[in-house]
Amino acid sequence: MSDRYSFSLTTFSPSGKLVQIEYALNAVAQGVTSIGIKATNGIVIATEKKTASPLIDDSSLEKVANVCPNIGIVYSGMGPDFRVLLAKARKSAQKYKRVYNEYPPTGILVKEVASVMQEFTQSGGVRPFGVSLLIAGYDETGPALYQVDPSGSYWAWKASAIGKNMVNAKTFLEKRYNDDMELEDAVHTSILTLKEGFEGQMTENSIEIGIIGGEATGFTEGKQQPFFRKLTPSEVKDYLANIA
Amino acid sequence: SSAGYDRHITIFSPEGRLYQVEYAFKAISNSGITTVGVRGQDSVVIVTQKKIPDKLLDPSTVTHIFQLTPYVGCVMTGLIADARAQVTRARQEAADFRYKFGYEISTDMLAKRVANINQVYTQHAAMRPLGVSMILIGYDEERGPQLFKCDPAGYYVGYKATAAGAKQQESLNHLEKKLKKDPNLNFEDTVELAINTLSSVLSADFKATEIEVAIVTREDPKFRTLSVAEIEAHLQRIVEKD
Repeated sequence: MSDRYSFSLTTFSPSGKLVQIEYALNAVAQGVTSIGIKATNGIVIATEKKTASPLIDDSSLEKVANVCPNIGIVYSGMGPDFRVLLAKARKSAQKYKRVYNEYPPTGILVKEVASVMQEFTQSGGVRPFGVSLLIAGYDETGPALYQVDPSGSYWAWKASAIGKNMVNAKTFLEKRYNDDMELEDAVHTSILTLKEGFEGQMTENSIEIGIIGGEATGFTEGKQQPFFRKLTPSEVKDYLANIA
Repeated sequence: SSAGYDRHITIFSPEGRLYQVEYAFKAISNSGITTVGVRGQDSVVIVTQKKIPDKLLDPSTVTHIFQLTPYVGCVMTGLIADARAQVTRARQEAADFRYKFGYEISTDMLAKRVANINQVYTQHAAMRPLGVSMILIGYDEERGPQLFKCDPAGYYVGYKATAAGAKQQESLNHLEKKLKKDPNLNFEDTVELAINTLSSVLSADFKATEIEVAIVTREDPKFRTLSVAEIEAHLQRIVEKD
């Protein structure tokens, strides 16, 4: 059945562009904004949680997720596509652990996820993923923030934004970012950046924030080390109170 | 705007849309029936219309409510053939889970599995998305009553109340109004809200044979459909309230 599709759907246009990837980026640009900021001692990633209706039970929806104890992830774009990549990222982290008995460094995990995304721009009968990812991790070399696009290309950032409001958000971040920022300030800045493009009232239930480093540490693999975790609604509320 | 085959298979359109997925949603609205699900304090109820288009049809075989496990059930809205295919697959997944892990799958996990399968159809050109929305209900020991909906886009989320089908938007508006004050509904009130929502958006008073109802409650967490007599009793209670 799927032999009929043993040809790539993502092919070059006469001008040398891969239009399916460009269209996938358009799908990402329609998604809700997500932010990532790297501080000296950790990283924060955040996103808006925009539910289409008050009838939705928003505790069942998780946009900021952890991949393994030292790596967290957030996306902009198509939720269902993100679930697939999240599952693959988690499995990849466990596979690495099975071989090396420690969790992968951020760069290695990012390479694996990016490689999956690239496959779907070249394999037969499939379309690219309609998501961009911000992957935040803390390994022996320190904190690292990466962005991965539908094409499978990735870069490390000091601070980045993806999704609807990314242009304005990045301009805002360029003004506010400095290399000596600590995690607390970074969380504060990420909330301010999200607020710029936020429609409606920002409450502790309409944004999701994840941090690693700083006070986000846990005992794992025999030592106390940075541990990715999401901020609880009451912690988010405290931060929101500070910017009011 | 479209380019190439983006209206025929699930590849991106220039704006980044998936037309085939959008058309699948249209197939659900065109199905002609509306279904409603409501989650109460310790029960969940699903209600759907029972339309028998031909008098020669055996009414007992016309149903959109299906049991997936002894504790999880669903109501399907959309193309009935696709519905049966998805139900069969969901039953298989639930049975595999029970065999592998030794305990029954929870509603949220089964919903996730169905949604992940739906996502595959939106990404692989060889298979089209199914033209159905699945509303799952179940009672979980740890999390209480659960109500989930899975759609052709591969999206799924938990709900306090939801609807699907022809009069979906009107039903959602009605439910939003009624649940605005966040009431803690007991079983009777949950059933009442579900049935009333359907009556209100379809501007019709139902006979017990014109709707199907299925429930799970804390007292009896097994998924079951109500008999005509039980539906009649609820309808009677609603009438007497007026």
